[in-house]
Amino acid sequence: MAYSEKVVDHFNNPRNMGSFKKDDEDVGTGIVGAPECGDVMKLQIKVQDEKIVDAKFKTFGCGSAIASSSLATEWLKGKTIEEAHKIKNTDIVQELNLPPVKIHCSVLAEDAIKAALNDYKKKTDTKESK
Amino acid sequence: MDQAQKTSGKRTELQMARSMCWHCQSEVTGEYFCEQCIKVQPLSKELDYFTCLGLPRLLNIDINTLEAKFYALSRAFHPDFYQNKTESEQTISLENSALLNTAYRTLKDPIQRAEYLLKLEAGSAKDIRTSPPADLFEEILALQEDLEEYRSAQAGQNQVGLEQLRARLTVDRETLEQRQREMETRLFELFTTWDSLQSRQSQTEQAGRHLRQGKDAVLKEMRELLSNRTYLRNIVNDLIATTA
Repeated sequence: MAYSEKVVDHFNNPRNMGSFKKDDEDVGTGIVGAPECGDVMKLQIKVQDEKIVDAKFKTFGCGSAIASSSLATEWLKGKTIEEAHKIKNTDIVQELNLPPVKIHCSVLAEDAIKAALNDYKKKTDTKESK
Repeated sequence: MDQAQKTSGKRTELQMARSMCWHCQSEVTGEYFCEQCIKVQPLSKELDYFTCLGLPRLLNIDINTLEAKFYALSRAFHPDFYQNKTESEQTISLENSALLNTAYRTLKDPIQRAEYLLKLEAGSAKDIRTSPPADLFEEILALQEDLEEYRSAQAGQNQVGLEQLRARLTVDRETLEQRQREMETRLFELFTTWDSLQSRQSQTEQAGRHLRQGKDAVLKEMRELLSNRTYLRNIVNDLIATTA
């Protein structure tokens, strides 16, 4: 099965590949994996005043997983925390035209977003309680 | 539960799709063929692979028994023997053979067998919620960074640095391979635990609940092992491919 043009584009020119310092206070990190295929995805957000100012990812897996996380970082940039929570895997499926066998890649990206948001929330919560 | 008891109990013969012969309408009493008109009968599509091959739902299976049963059934259903038969019989022969082949392929391989059992027992293997192995993910990401460093070192001129990196990655790979072997050992231990739980009969309701809990614990640990095994396999393959 051939990858869609958009997947190939993200795969060849991944946006926002890289990482932030995990321990920085304004950074939220999500690391998730897909047990079916063994792909591992790391997604990070940098937050200022409840707004995501930057996002980065590193994904070790198939083209669809890379494209899904690349697209996710693009969408995350400029969004508020609240808006970021609303990104759904089905949006990614639609945008990238993922075939049924690759839907789990988009689920992985959504999980990574949620994990990064949770990590950031945990960080700010502990900071406030100090 | 009922299903599991049925298959682990006496019921090991093949289930037919219908109790009535598709051809002569008489009740099917023969195993795979109608005793009245000797026509081949279609296998039920809901048949699980263990039942299909006449095996109880256990994880340690005797490969010779499996093979013997597979060959016997292959002969009974093989399309070559149906070339001169009616179209309906040819279709049944094809469909039965296809199901049989998939069942055999799945059960022959211990890993696929375990994955299949998880699917049967948990509805869908993915439904068993396990916590993601955070430590393993961190480890994999660190190794992937080392691999990236190695790839960029390959492009550069620093031969000494490259060799040092390669030596380190080789040690990492050997450690991971050792862990893979340990995981497999544990997985096969669980096979035996599962089989002994399957053969146990519970007399009271409480004992039944207890048995189910024991089984669920085994299934969960197997699910975790199989998932972690996949993550490890990927990183080991990347290490081999890059440093080879």
